[in-house]
Amino acid sequence: MRWSFSLLFTALLGAVSAKSFTGGRLLVVLENAAEQEKYSVFLGDLTGRGFHVTVESPKSSSLSLFKHGERAYDHVVLLPAKSKGLGPALTANNILDFMKKEGNVLLALSSEQATPTALQSLLLELDIHIPSDKSALVVDHFNYDSTSAEEKHDVLLLPFPKALKSDVKNYFSGEGVIAVPRAVGQTLGNQSPLIAPILRAPSTAYSYSPKDEADIVEDPFAVGGQLNLVSAVQALNSARLTVVGSSEILQTAWFSEKATLNGKAVTTANRAFAEKLTSWTFKEAGVLKVGKLVHYLDEGASKASNTSSAIPENNPGIYRVKNDVAFTVEISEYSNSHLIPFVPPKGDSVQLEFSMLSPFHRINLTPLSQTANATVFGTTFKTPDQHGIFNFHIKYNRPFLTNIEEKKQVTVRHFAHDEWPRSWQISGAWVWIGGIWVTVAGWLAFVALWLYSSPAEKTAKKTQ
Amino acid sequence: MAAPEEGQFLKQANSQSTRGLLRVIILCLIAGAAISSRLFSVIRFESIIHEFDPWFNFRATKYLVQNGFYSFWDWFDDRTWHPLGRVTGGTLYPGLMVTSGAIYHFLRFLSLPVDIRNICVLLAPGFSGLTAFATYLLTNEMASSPSAGLLAAAFMGITPGYISRSVAGSYDNEAIAIFLLVFTFYLWIKAVKLGSIFWGALTALFYGYMVSAWGGYVFITNLLPLHAFVLICMGRYSPRLYVSYTSWFALGTLASMQIPFVGFLPIRSSEHMSALGVFGLIQLVGGVDFIRAQLPSKQFQTLLRTLILVIFVVAFGGLVLLTVSGVIAPWSGRFYSLWDTGYAKIHIPIIASVSEHQPTAWPAFFFDLSMMIWLFPAGVYMCFRTLSDEQVFVVIYAVLASYFAGVMVRLMLTLTPIVCVASAIAFSQILDTYLNLKSPKVDVKENASSEPAKVVAAAVLPDGLRSTRNPLVGIYSYASKLTVVGSASIYLMLFVLHCTWVTSNAYSSPSVVLASRLPDGSQHIIDDYREAYYWLRQNTADNAKIMSWWDYGYQIGGMADRPTLVDNNTWNNTHIATVGKAMSSREEVSYPIMRQHEVDYVLVVFGGLLGYSGDDINKFLWMVRIAEGIWPDEVKERSFFTPRGEYRIDDEATPTMRNSLMYKMSYYNYNSLFPAGQAQDRVRNSRLPAEGPQLSTIEEAFTSENWIIRIYKVKDLDNFGRDHQSAVSFDKGHKKKRATKRKGPRVLRVE
Repeated sequence: MRWSFSLLFTALLGAVSAKSFTGGRLLVVLENAAEQEKYSVFLGDLTGRGFHVTVESPKSSSLSLFKHGERAYDHVVLLPAKSKGLGPALTANNILDFMKKEGNVLLALSSEQATPTALQSLLLELDIHIPSDKSALVVDHFNYDSTSAEEKHDVLLLPFPKALKSDVKNYFSGEGVIAVPRAVGQTLGNQSPLIAPILRAPSTAYSYSPKDEADIVEDPFAVGGQLNLVSAVQALNSARLTVVGSSEILQTAWFSEKATLNGKAVTTANRAFAEKLTSWTFKEAGVLKVGKLVHYLDEGASKASNTSSAIPENNPGIYRVKNDVAFTVEISEYSNSHLIPFVPPKGDSVQLEFSMLSPFHRINLTPLSQTANATVFGTTFKTPDQHGIFNFHIKYNRPFLTNIEEKKQVTVRHFAHDEWPRSWQISGAWVWIGGIWVTVAGWLAFVALWLYSSPAEKTAKKTQ
Repeated sequence: MAAPEEGQFLKQANSQSTRGLLRVIILCLIAGAAISSRLFSVIRFESIIHEFDPWFNFRATKYLVQNGFYSFWDWFDDRTWHPLGRVTGGTLYPGLMVTSGAIYHFLRFLSLPVDIRNICVLLAPGFSGLTAFATYLLTNEMASSPSAGLLAAAFMGITPGYISRSVAGSYDNEAIAIFLLVFTFYLWIKAVKLGSIFWGALTALFYGYMVSAWGGYVFITNLLPLHAFVLICMGRYSPRLYVSYTSWFALGTLASMQIPFVGFLPIRSSEHMSALGVFGLIQLVGGVDFIRAQLPSKQFQTLLRTLILVIFVVAFGGLVLLTVSGVIAPWSGRFYSLWDTGYAKIHIPIIASVSEHQPTAWPAFFFDLSMMIWLFPAGVYMCFRTLSDEQVFVVIYAVLASYFAGVMVRLMLTLTPIVCVASAIAFSQILDTYLNLKSPKVDVKENASSEPAKVVAAAVLPDGLRSTRNPLVGIYSYASKLTVVGSASIYLMLFVLHCTWVTSNAYSSPSVVLASRLPDGSQHIIDDYREAYYWLRQNTADNAKIMSWWDYGYQIGGMADRPTLVDNNTWNNTHIATVGKAMSSREEVSYPIMRQHEVDYVLVVFGGLLGYSGDDINKFLWMVRIAEGIWPDEVKERSFFTPRGEYRIDDEATPTMRNSLMYKMSYYNYNSLFPAGQAQDRVRNSRLPAEGPQLSTIEEAFTSENWIIRIYKVKDLDNFGRDHQSAVSFDKGHKKKRATKRKGPRVLRVE
């Protein structure tokens, strides 16, 4: 019921607004209206994809991310502003609160304008580091655009990013080259599993400040693969934040510009890349959804009546130790305005844990079948020989995919008094059972003998 | 006894039936007094279950009534000991619940729908009436005077030592167990006296009931064999003893093994070995007795000697072998603590931490037994005078129970019946002597110094004692009789006053609800416990897990109906130590523990505002000790004391103390109640530090009216992967400082 309702709801949402999974209200924060012209194609593309775009100045008094305690927008694009502060509506706390309510943020930096302090502390909280020098930018003496940056080498031309790891889906692939002009490089902290690089600088790139380090760079902020041009954060509640090192990537001027890479003339594919970036950040891609989750007793009488369409008792609250249990879960992936069956990348699989304090089972779920909207993953296993309160626990946190965490608590009880095998079914007990009956028979025989011989005994005693 | 000469047969019968009727009426009145003196708490407060354990029994009874006997038998309780659960049906003594369940169904069968709660509340007073009756029967077996039985029943009915565990609402195992204890003893005495299998089987039946009701059945299991053993040693072996003991042992052991919680203990644990040993011994004695009848005495002597030697060696060797190989469980810790009162404190803090396992303070004897404490030895002495089989029993019982009552507070309960019996024997002796108006004045005076008197005296009294060699004389004047009888009745009156006073002031508080007096003298009810538990019940998810110290586990389960981590059934020391560790460690250590155990709320009891001394800070050292028992490297009791060895909570408290979760939860925000710097803890009478503790991994959810109960919610993981400390400081506006200078080598991200 809930399932079909949410399906209907998403379908309705898709019909009336954006293709995004969470809604189409998009706020673009831009300091002056003149700047808007530079991003006209980018914003036009977003509108074309169904987003309801609102452009506000950070100084506007009506600007607020929240309304009545709920978020007023589903997504926010923060474009660079000249002023140092972003105003009271866009403090770091506000933006984190916005993300706590599952709002998504696309944050564009620029080396020409200092990053506002609010955003600096926001990035610091998320363990993303940018150079302290406000004019620092990324240069590369090998992969630069010789048309526009003949001298400065600060417009990088890069291919579309490859998958982060072999078993991670790539949502940013494409054909052509991306122009990254005058980017602010970022480094990512090593602790948090929530942050991931989208576009890394090539191994020959480094970050320097043209003002302070014009002659010699002694201790660069970061070099090579450690330097990220575009990086992403996905919070535990799957709110997404993308940091784009150069706001110019999104500008019309670079969307399909002619450039020269190592003497070869190429055309930049920034428009496609910007689309990839926004569609991921605004949850048009990489969104997983858990559908029907069923576990049931898979033995004895209930196994006999289990069919694919009818399972007698779904999701019971209690099992016994050493029960055979079947578990299935439907997982869908959101793609292009509707849900499709989710197929995990090669080498990766969704795992089920059956755990009490620590996992007693950790099983790879196998795709059993596919419906129109979902893949049905499932497995069967035997509950451990330990009673207690267990959890069916699916935790599937992968870079660029929304987090799945499902916990279903069940009780595993001990054997009831009448569930043990009867004594005569245990061959080892035959000796003792035999002993009992021999004693009984022997006693009866003795009593019979005693009674039979009692009169003689009596007389004998009397004579004594 | 001395009936008038001209008394007709009819007249005598008449007077006997009058006496019988009188006795029934008196017993009914005693039962009425016993029941009504236990109703103080219901009248003062309401019909409510008391204290801690009764809440579990109540919950279990409700489960039994709702789900029937078999599901109760197989009950796996998933709302306690999260996430381990408890095989409750197999780890409890079901006698109490089944009894009240049976009463409930019986009343429904009679079309009297009574709320199960009221049955549970009133069960203990009801059974106290039965206990009084059983005491009457037992005493009647001991004493020749019929008044002793009635006196004993009256004593048993109102003595505070028994009332302490059987007021209305005190729905605990002891509520029915004391009745069963006394009644089983009565049946045993009857069986030994008559030597009948029937009474022996009845003893076994009630012994089985007792096993199903209370863990204290071990007392019977050891006392009856000891009685038999002493009788054998005294050379009083008789076929009567053989029949009654063997029929009790065989049937009783089988009956006790039917209780899942007991199971095979009767043949495997050391506590039960004495019964088994005496069973073997009595077979041997019986066998030897038989052989002696068949053999000449000289051959018999040699046979006996070799037999004794062989049997001793074989039995002892077998016992040692079985104990070493683990077939027979070694003595449990609770047992050791019966012999060495310091044992538990060192080795098993969990047992020592229970207040009722502490050694009894001397005043408690006077408080609980009043004048009986000095009548009791007199009664025991009376038993020495005519040392028949049943008097031996009284002596043994008295000695053993006195010792145990001195070791453990709660065992005062097993002492009380024999104290009542013995002092009733003594008291009735006084009354019988002095209430007899027609004293043989002339006879005794006449023979005061003559030879025949000595003969008579020797016939009546054992002449082993010096005081009895000379024929004693009494005081036969009415004045002296009046004095003695008068003072005796004054003592009885004082006893009643004392019992009523103790019952009303000490034993009738439900301890769930606290009563205090306002300055104007009116009663003020402090109802924080129920306030907090009902808050939990109504404001938290149905299976929100509550972590608290184990004392409150049963109450949370019963009143708030929420799963708990640990409760008063302290079966898993490690789990309790885990909670203790979470409470006594820093937040960073506690948080992963709480996450792992899926804790949603933490409940602490804090008495600092009201001066309620039974709070968690005062119990805190037990948590530390129990945790230290499992993790000696991580939790250290020493670090909670100042260098001078003081347990402090003020400015001089140790950093470990001030950083412990328990301290923080108790005093969080407490400063805000007082003017700056003047926060005062009224239990420990000390001023708190000017700056209160800060919490990051948990947040305050609820604090009751008088701050007795404080409930905290455990925060979820930080949404952005930060640790809670930095997340909280960020929320408070402390921005992270950008590291201007890099320290050490560059940290590279590896992927």
